Amino acid sequence: MDETLLRGRVWKFGDNISGDDGIIEFSIIREGFGKAFDEAALRAMCFRRLRPEFPEQVRPGDIVVGGRNFGHHNHVEVSVAIKASGIAAVVVESCESGIIRRALNVGLPVMTCPGITAAVEDGDVLEADPATGLIRAADGRVLPSRPFSPRMVEIWRAGGSIPLLQREFAERRAAAAAR
Amino acid sequence: MAGQSIAQKIIAHALGREAVEVGEYVTVSADHTVCQELFWPGHKRNLERIGVDRIPRPDKAVMVIDHSTSAAMGSHHHETHRTLRDWCDAQGIENFFGPGSGLRHLVMVERGFARPGLLIFSDEGNIASLGAVGALNIPISTEVIVSLIEDRNWLAVPPSARFALTGTLPFGVTARDLIQTIIRDFGATDRLLGCCVEFTGPAIANLSMDDRQTILASLFHSGAYTGVMPVDAAAMAYVAARAEGRPYRVVEADADADYVLEARYDLSAITPMVTRPPDLHGGVPVETVSGQRIDQATIGSCAGNRIDDMRAAAEILRGRRVARHVTLYITPGSREVYSAAAREGLLEVFSDAGATVLAPGCTTCWGYQGQLNDHEVLISTQQFNYQGRNGSRLADVYLAGPYAVAAAAVAGRIIDPRAMLAVAA
Repeated sequence: MDETLLRGRVWKFGDNISGDDGIIEFSIIREGFGKAFDEAALRAMCFRRLRPEFPEQVRPGDIVVGGRNFGHHNHVEVSVAIKASGIAAVVVESCESGIIRRALNVGLPVMTCPGITAAVEDGDVLEADPATGLIRAADGRVLPSRPFSPRMVEIWRAGGSIPLLQREFAERRAAAAAR
Repeated sequence: MAGQSIAQKIIAHALGREAVEVGEYVTVSADHTVCQELFWPGHKRNLERIGVDRIPRPDKAVMVIDHSTSAAMGSHHHETHRTLRDWCDAQGIENFFGPGSGLRHLVMVERGFARPGLLIFSDEGNIASLGAVGALNIPISTEVIVSLIEDRNWLAVPPSARFALTGTLPFGVTARDLIQTIIRDFGATDRLLGCCVEFTGPAIANLSMDDRQTILASLFHSGAYTGVMPVDAAAMAYVAARAEGRPYRVVEADADADYVLEARYDLSAITPMVTRPPDLHGGVPVETVSGQRIDQATIGSCAGNRIDDMRAAAEILRGRRVARHVTLYITPGSREVYSAAAREGLLEVFSDAGATVLAPGCTTCWGYQGQLNDHEVLISTQQFNYQGRNGSRLADVYLAGPYAVAAAAVAGRIIDPRAMLAVAA
């Protein structure tokens, strides 16, 4: 299952960070209801209110660590912004299940892990495995998280629900054509 | 294993299992998937990208045009309406409800799609209002398209909390004031995070079906995931009149079910509340903001568009006029509510008072109608008060129940509505 193990540099945030009015600024972009996402604009605003250097300095594969009630009040654009920034996983003390869904739907794993903020510092290297629920801090300490179901792992690995269905339907059509 | 909550029992039943564990990730088929039109262009692109010819269960789909009822000039909504209607026809989806039918929250209960013990996938947390008839809403956002394509989706079995309600709401106080109080108490915490809230207690018998839906529709602002009310005699009567032979099963929690939080609210201690911008948990007693001048007032949205809300607005507006500098929009939530308001003479009261009645739909709640200029102030029964919700980011949005909104429209400023009700009575 090693291929599901993520290893990345930590960006650490505190408790009660709003999704729409913190991680992004939803009121600026809401005119786009129902249209395709402007990923460049979302990337440029992602976490900038909390860490102005984030959009410039985030690197692909980095991991966001959040506190309690992470990303409350989040439209799907919040998940798109974090994913488009190159973040490989989000590990939080607690969050509403809505952000776990919206994030997974675009291929971003959000894992809940009580105790995570005390176990890691900003800039640490953190290991996280959504398939097994393993979270390992830089000092080797292992923390518990609930493993994703097999279907959730498939969604995550495919980069989201739509890419997964696209592939599965294509495979189904190919199999039908081969018969 | 501890006893099962209502949410656990409904999910376990949908899985064909005896029990499920809180926090467990399961993949399940729901009884219905209900979907609005606003994100249809994106859903349609995805359907084409995937290459979906036929969805497996068109009978489970309930498609409702509620956000963009008027397909106004300059918008793309008329195209959305056309392509959604055509797709439903091609798929054999009979449960398509066009512009003006009402909000899917109301369509689902009024037409008997939501019934006791049913599991519903929907696109929004505020559709927890279906819990008034004992159905469990699982909000899955834009993934409704996945449920339509696959007739299944994953969910995390929610933990449950239990709120015991006692007492009776005092004169001039509504169910909206109760839920704004709950949101004030929990909205800035993670104590209800991801929970299904089971309401219980003797006070519920005194709450109308509309009151129950109002409480559940805004419950998600407290951090809760979904919620249910007990299916009592009133709920059973409502369901029996609309089920038309379709099955349902009343589900009760086990006596030893596990609750992560238990709270009590004495309804007789609730007072008229106004939630200040821009936070949803910014609820204060109305007297704290009394005197605040307003420019616009709106009564509508899934949090305040049922017949009880129309009656409450009319109690204030009967024989009175909206202040000269104020625009008041009133939106009945469905054709059923609109017709009832007409039969009861409420539409005449609204019109005589100088209010504008809009077609059933989400209308002003998401800024589709009634846009605000910089520095204008709105008081509304709607769901959200963040900056920019109704136009300018420099406008302020106060949230309140129908009495307080109608009273503010008349006075031109926020006032305690009980003064006007006392005069009317």
